Amino acid sequence: MSQLLQQLINGLSIGSVYALMAVGYSLVYSIMNFSNFAHGGVIMLGAYFGYYYLTSVGLPFPIAFIASALTTCVLAVIIERGAYKPLRERKAPFLYFIISAMGTSIFLENIVIATIGPTFRTYPEVLSRTPIQLGSVSIGRLDLAMFIISAICLALLVFFIDHTKMGKAIQATAYNIKASALMGINTDLVIIVVFALGGFFAGIAGVLFGMKYTVYPQIGVITNKSFIAAVFGGLGSLPGAVIGSILLGVIETITSGYLSSQYRDLIAFVLLIAVLVFRPRGLMGKVTEDKA
Amino acid sequence: MDLNYITGILTLAGINLMAVLGLSLLTGFTGMFSFGHAGFMAIGGYTSAMMTVKFGLPFIPALLIGGLVAALVSSVIGKLTLNLKGDYFCIATLGFGEAIRLILDNVQYFGGARGWPGIPHHTNLLNVVIINIVAIFILANIVRSKHGRNMIAVREEELASQIVGINVFRYKLISLMISAAYAGIAGGLMAHYMTFLQPKMFSLTKSTELTIIVIFGGLGSISGSVLGALVLTSLPEILRAFSNWRLVIYGLAVVIIMITRPSGLMGGYELTPSSMKTLYTRMKNKNKGLPNQMEGGKTI
Amino acid sequence: MNILELKNLTKTFGGLTAVGNVDFEVPNDGISGLIGPNGAGKTTIFNLITGVYKVTDGRIIFKGKDITNMDPYKIAGSGITRTFQNIRLFKKLTVYENVLTACHANANYGLFEAVVRTPKCRKQEKELEEKANDLLDIMGLYDRRDLIANNLPYGLQRRLEIARALALNPELLLLDEPAAGMNPDETVQLMTLIADIRSKFNLSVLIIDHHMDLIMGICEKIMVLNFGCKLAEGTPQEIQNNPKVIEAYLGVEG
Repeated sequence: MSQLLQQLINGLSIGSVYALMAVGYSLVYSIMNFSNFAHGGVIMLGAYFGYYYLTSVGLPFPIAFIASALTTCVLAVIIERGAYKPLRERKAPFLYFIISAMGTSIFLENIVIATIGPTFRTYPEVLSRTPIQLGSVSIGRLDLAMFIISAICLALLVFFIDHTKMGKAIQATAYNIKASALMGINTDLVIIVVFALGGFFAGIAGVLFGMKYTVYPQIGVITNKSFIAAVFGGLGSLPGAVIGSILLGVIETITSGYLSSQYRDLIAFVLLIAVLVFRPRGLMGKVTEDKA
Repeated sequence: MDLNYITGILTLAGINLMAVLGLSLLTGFTGMFSFGHAGFMAIGGYTSAMMTVKFGLPFIPALLIGGLVAALVSSVIGKLTLNLKGDYFCIATLGFGEAIRLILDNVQYFGGARGWPGIPHHTNLLNVVIINIVAIFILANIVRSKHGRNMIAVREEELASQIVGINVFRYKLISLMISAAYAGIAGGLMAHYMTFLQPKMFSLTKSTELTIIVIFGGLGSISGSVLGALVLTSLPEILRAFSNWRLVIYGLAVVIIMITRPSGLMGGYELTPSSMKTLYTRMKNKNKGLPNQMEGGKTI
Repeated sequence: MNILELKNLTKTFGGLTAVGNVDFEVPNDGISGLIGPNGAGKTTIFNLITGVYKVTDGRIIFKGKDITNMDPYKIAGSGITRTFQNIRLFKKLTVYENVLTACHANANYGLFEAVVRTPKCRKQEKELEEKANDLLDIMGLYDRRDLIANNLPYGLQRRLEIARALALNPELLLLDEPAAGMNPDETVQLMTLIADIRSKFNLSVLIIDHHMDLIMGICEKIMVLNFGCKLAEGTPQEIQNNPKVIEAYLGVEG
């Protein structure tokens, strides 16, 4: 019983970080209807920036944390301007966006390998590694921090979307981009904000991930899981992305706890296919009907 | 550069081409995008290697069985996922490709993640070229038949295809199965060229590479796919000296191609003797100042 | 004899009834019309007949056979084709390719026969080419056969869509606002064309249009729809004098 509880807590913690990444995929999908595979690269760079701000620059942790989030925020917007805006202007089919995203992702991963090198880097110890004991369950301080920070970020995001003018503009644009543009919403600005938000959370998630594991160029492969989580919940839906992420986190930790960690990734991908087959729009996905 | 080195690069390009040709039918002519074709290559590769190594079958039958098994698996996947719209089909194929790789990681019979050495060396430039010629011949004949036209119709406009009586689902499935068979044979060729198989060889990166080649060559152009496979396989090999930077350039090039020349090298046109003739006469007409009726072209 | 019968046809989207309990018969070899204000459910009926939308309730009988909720391609194969209000051509293909593709059902060679190009395949391909060229000739599009469909003038795109529909040898042709965006001259030409097609191809036609002169000029039977329900049905004369129709179109005075 306590083992199950332990797994649930671990799952919740990892799931909340997945959620931070998944909202980035979902926000972009809700507006532009394509899967932004460059997001993984941005998360990876977030982890690297955090690492260098802490070590080489020597910033105190909270400042390094915010600084790397701001850096990836800018980076995500630059990617949008460079790799997607020209396609948007030409009204290119969604596939070109995906390929462009894949190209960006290859570029980001390899520029890190070419400049920094493929070696693993370990974050300096920010939080003590000794866990907090609660009865028979031990909670890692880092896991707890991951959960709290993610929850705060998500709450802020929900507030932003629901209670600010820009948030409402995002909702309207997600509902119908053409009509929103006609109603005087600056959809170009909305797209910038969406990428900025996604980039900001990517930076935070990257640093949390880097602290939990290590930093290496292929970390984007792991971040693909957050994409699966977004599909679980239904691409384009923020609550869906969060629920999907938590579910995936819990399923993963339980699989590796009770079965074997080797099957962890396999189960994630098999689940992905199963969800698509039986509930193609995910748990709470956006439904688009083809009109004749 | 010695001859062996060049033959090696050409053989690799030929193996890639085989998979690209199949994907060209699916993506270029039927309009479906896959990020899981490395999975079909893996199925074909492991199956044909099993045939030669464990059952002692000759090379060519082993290759064909590999292609057949890949096609059968694709028909199951296709029946489940072909009704998904746009993005979601791509994602399903991505999940499929990764699932195949992760399953193979755990199949100890094939050596698991450590890989499977000692596969006999059968693939050489000659048989790769012959197989590709046969593959192009088959593909070209399909494309210019009513079946090929129906696939193109599906690519252009699904609803209109239905209305003119085309069974959209069936043609998507046929196209997927043929493309999977081609990828399976390519996997078999690769297994018997490398003499070693490892699940890592069939990652998402490999699937993406295949799709990028098809787009680079130009959607809906077989000759474009041939050129694309030759250029994009040999270029990184020749640029080996730049080692780490070549993939940086590669990624950047992909983005630049997407935003500047999305129609690819051939832009939907074919390089055949008759098309060369039309091009020549059109250029002559242009020089005489006659109106060019083909304005706009077949950009996608 | 009726070629098509709609029985109690109903389609709801969520809580909204787009088409409610419509009964209608399309007579054999005739030209019938479907009119009504915008949003009355005319195109929805076409979508139901051709299987694009699933029927909520009721039945569709074509040549005495129930075709309710069949796959669109099967309905097309059984002899019903249509055009679209917002033209759906294979835009990037040439005029000729558009028609040739639609001719596919006139050949029955298999995939393997295509791969080795058997004599049967070659012969049938030749026949398809001839048929496509004939159709282009009849529709006055032959001299533009190599143009990309999207580059055709609007009126000719509508013509091409009809040519593509005819390639299936349909017995019932549904035309969704064929005269939309045409000037009076072009509309008159279109009327003659539709009448010609009917007699030449020996088929029945059902037309949706807002051009009353077109509908009243060539239709033998007309159904008026309003808010998804049948308002009236009859000959052009009857419809023109029907007070309910006048009310729906012009509003009540006073």
